Amino acid sequence: MASPRALAAPLPASARPVRQALAFDERVMRAGLLLLLLYLAITVVLPLWALFAKAFEGPEGGFAGLANFAAYAATPALTSSLRNALVVATLSTAICIALAFGYAYALTRTCLPGKSLFAAVATVPLLAPSLLPAIALVYLFGNQGLARWALFGHSIYGPIGIVIGEVFWTFPHALIILTTALSTADARLYEAALALKASPARIFFTVTLPAVRYGLISATFVVFTLVITDFGVPKVIGGSYNVLALDVYKHVVGQQNFRMGAVVGMILLVPAVLSFVVDRFAQKRQAALLSARAVPYVPKPDPLVDGAAFVFCALVACAILSILGVAVFASFVNFWPYDLSFSLKNYDFDNMDGGGWESYRNSLEMATLTAVFGTALVFTGAWLVEKTRAFVWVRGLAHLAALLPLAVPGLVMGIGYVFFFVEPSNPFHFLYGSMAILVVCTIAHFYSVAHLAAVTALKQLDPEFEAVSASLKVPLYRTFLKVTVPVCLPAVLDIAAYFFVNAMTTVSAVVFLYSPRTQLASIAVLNMDDAGDIAPAAAMAVLIFATSALVRGAYALLVRRLLARTQAWRSR
Amino acid sequence: MAAPGAPAAAARAEQSPNTERAEPYLRIRGLTKRFGAFTALADVDLDVWPGELVTFLGPSGCGKTTLLRAIAGLDPQTAGTIEQAGREISRLPASARDFGIVFQSYALFPNLTVRDNIAYGLFATRRSKREIETRVAELLELVGLADQADKYPAQLSGGQQQRVALARALALRPGLLLLDEPLSALDARVRVRLRAEIRDLQRRLGLTTILVTHDQEEALTISDRIVVMNRGRIEQVGTPEEVYARPATPFVADFVGKMNFLEGRLAAPDRVALAGAELRLAAPVALPPASRVLLCIRPEEVVLREAARSTDNRLLAEVAAMDFVGSHYATRLRILGTELALFAELSLNAVRDLGIRPGARLPVRLPAERLRLFPAGEPRR
Repeated sequence: MASPRALAAPLPASARPVRQALAFDERVMRAGLLLLLLYLAITVVLPLWALFAKAFEGPEGGFAGLANFAAYAATPALTSSLRNALVVATLSTAICIALAFGYAYALTRTCLPGKSLFAAVATVPLLAPSLLPAIALVYLFGNQGLARWALFGHSIYGPIGIVIGEVFWTFPHALIILTTALSTADARLYEAALALKASPARIFFTVTLPAVRYGLISATFVVFTLVITDFGVPKVIGGSYNVLALDVYKHVVGQQNFRMGAVVGMILLVPAVLSFVVDRFAQKRQAALLSARAVPYVPKPDPLVDGAAFVFCALVACAILSILGVAVFASFVNFWPYDLSFSLKNYDFDNMDGGGWESYRNSLEMATLTAVFGTALVFTGAWLVEKTRAFVWVRGLAHLAALLPLAVPGLVMGIGYVFFFVEPSNPFHFLYGSMAILVVCTIAHFYSVAHLAAVTALKQLDPEFEAVSASLKVPLYRTFLKVTVPVCLPAVLDIAAYFFVNAMTTVSAVVFLYSPRTQLASIAVLNMDDAGDIAPAAAMAVLIFATSALVRGAYALLVRRLLARTQAWRSR
Repeated sequence: MAAPGAPAAAARAEQSPNTERAEPYLRIRGLTKRFGAFTALADVDLDVWPGELVTFLGPSGCGKTTLLRAIAGLDPQTAGTIEQAGREISRLPASARDFGIVFQSYALFPNLTVRDNIAYGLFATRRSKREIETRVAELLELVGLADQADKYPAQLSGGQQQRVALARALALRPGLLLLDEPLSALDARVRVRLRAEIRDLQRRLGLTTILVTHDQEEALTISDRIVVMNRGRIEQVGTPEEVYARPATPFVADFVGKMNFLEGRLAAPDRVALAGAELRLAAPVALPPASRVLLCIRPEEVVLREAARSTDNRLLAEVAAMDFVGSHYATRLRILGTELALFAELSLNAVRDLGIRPGARLPVRLPAERLRLFPAGEPRR
């Protein structure tokens, strides 16, 4: 080009690497991302590190190598509880997966009537602490149980009770995974199989099962981990049958033997980490199975199959409802089983040990704070991770840190918090024993699922919103508040409800962190049961359930109204 | 609407670009973009003149979108400079540059009405409410959506959404309009209509515009100049007529329009020997004797009607296949005595008048002035 300007001379391609100046928005986002990383380091990574350190610490402090693990292996009482835990977890997983698969199959692949009702009933266990089914089982099959005869002289206190309780409590978790796996079926495969004259059994084994194998693997690991790390059910109904999770509790809370508690915590971490890795792998494969052009499978009515599905689902649903029903019923009677007249005396929490109504109010406060701050943190954090330009390393690290809690059982998270925050030298030591630490710990405990939900919602947005905003000279925070959050509102509310319900029902992490001033309802259930006040314990568990159900219901209503009104744009 | 300086700009757009004129609006030098070991843009130089509509044309992965995003500052280049209106902008973030952009997906804010989408950038400029309202009304009028202002994007057709995106991009009166495949999500009929509308609007506003497309027909109809790109490099820059009539490389010849490629060898400076036939060139070429060459002619340039009158560059062919495509017959001819195949577009009249049918033998002429020649071995598509 014949231009007089000297600049027109072509530059060698590699002469000057171009570094773009950062816009103010981008600086803010990067700073935000670093803050998020710092927050996650303090609330997730460092407590875990404290746990590791404690497991390898000698009696006088200092590094002790594997001495603590050797001591563990040499204690028969401890290794027997490992064995017990494996037995119970294996049994519970087998039963739970079988039932959940049947239920999920009926919901997705048959035309059984009342699908949405069955689906709703199956989520009931999510709304209660794991203590509730255990208490209900005591009422049903305990020494004064209604149906004690059904056990033929066996005791509910022990493996039988634990397995039944755990199956109840983990059922919805397995069901969600399996329903997802089963609903992503490609109708064309079934049509092809039919055209090739394959028998129904052959179709099931060659088309259906292979398509859901990753879902099955994923569900198996998730349930196994949930059972082995849960301590609510064995605490109430385990009797003298010790399991791993109980050992942690006894060591840390009972004997103040932190090192041994840390060792057992590390052992609990193994299945959880394994499950995390397998689940990530399986989900990627599962997503790859369904191509974009797949035709969704629509079940055809078949009286025989639908009838069988109905009977099966009805039985499972009845079992779930009767466990819940017994707890509700028992909480409202005068004196089980001798005086079944109606009474509210079990709800007179202020006259019992365990924290009284104050603990319920504390729980409400804790759940509300967790929902508000957790949702704001998680959604903003996910947005920073997704939408910050370049800065690849920090984004990747923040995403990883956000997923880490998924591999950490609540119990392990809780003792990590104890080890980390109990140190007077820790600048955050002042949080110890406060409401804030309960909120922070609960947010950390449930961070990953919420983060993934937020990321999924954000990924559905047009990736060019931020580019458009930049070209229009609109600051990014405005687009975040005016567009991103409103469009993602259903997901935001879902995350808030998730945090609230889990904060209401959780026992595992917070049991190590509450103080007399910050008693929680779920812990009150535990303590009242421990003190022999089973009926008030049931009453409090029912109260937690009712609160969670109320919030879930309110969420459903709110989303429906939102979609109908402010989100008119969703419909064409 | 009364666009500022519209008449002057329209006059400018009439001119063919030449270096006598003032400074280029956009001056790109040595632009290189690497993603790890992959080079998406290799040392690209380009000038865009004020008021012209330039199209980046090429197959997917050729670097056209990368170039556009570098100009916008969305994905900054690895090396090289970009000057806009005399100002070096390479280091500026997108928000500090002066452009409006329309994406293939439109990226309309789904929860805002058409009005609020268009006004979105105006709120950041500290204008009064009245000013904003007037400007939005003006823009709605400009794209013909005045009656749709209170609808949400999802309630509009694809073409209407596209116009909203255009109005939003124009709201701040940018000096440069960037269009990233703005029409490819639309069906054929709407695409043709909107293409004309965009061109008309661009002329009226005299707005310097860059459009990215992989559709050669779109590039030919809409552009002042076309930048044909392949594998991160510019193959040719020229007016649509230049690019079509005088492709600079075999790639351009193949990518823009349809083209016959005949392999041969230089028999004399102005003669090419094909397998079993020899063709005269309009002018001698400066290639070593006996070089291997590619001879090109477009299917519609193959002459049948007067082929009998002149023996110049005449070959005898047999009709191998005829595909009726509505406006003409896409015909495959086999040159007798050779292995060569030649595609020709035969008008319905010619077919009727000459009684052409599969198996028929007829003389065809390849006019010397229509033949283009490239050294063999240059990459095609």
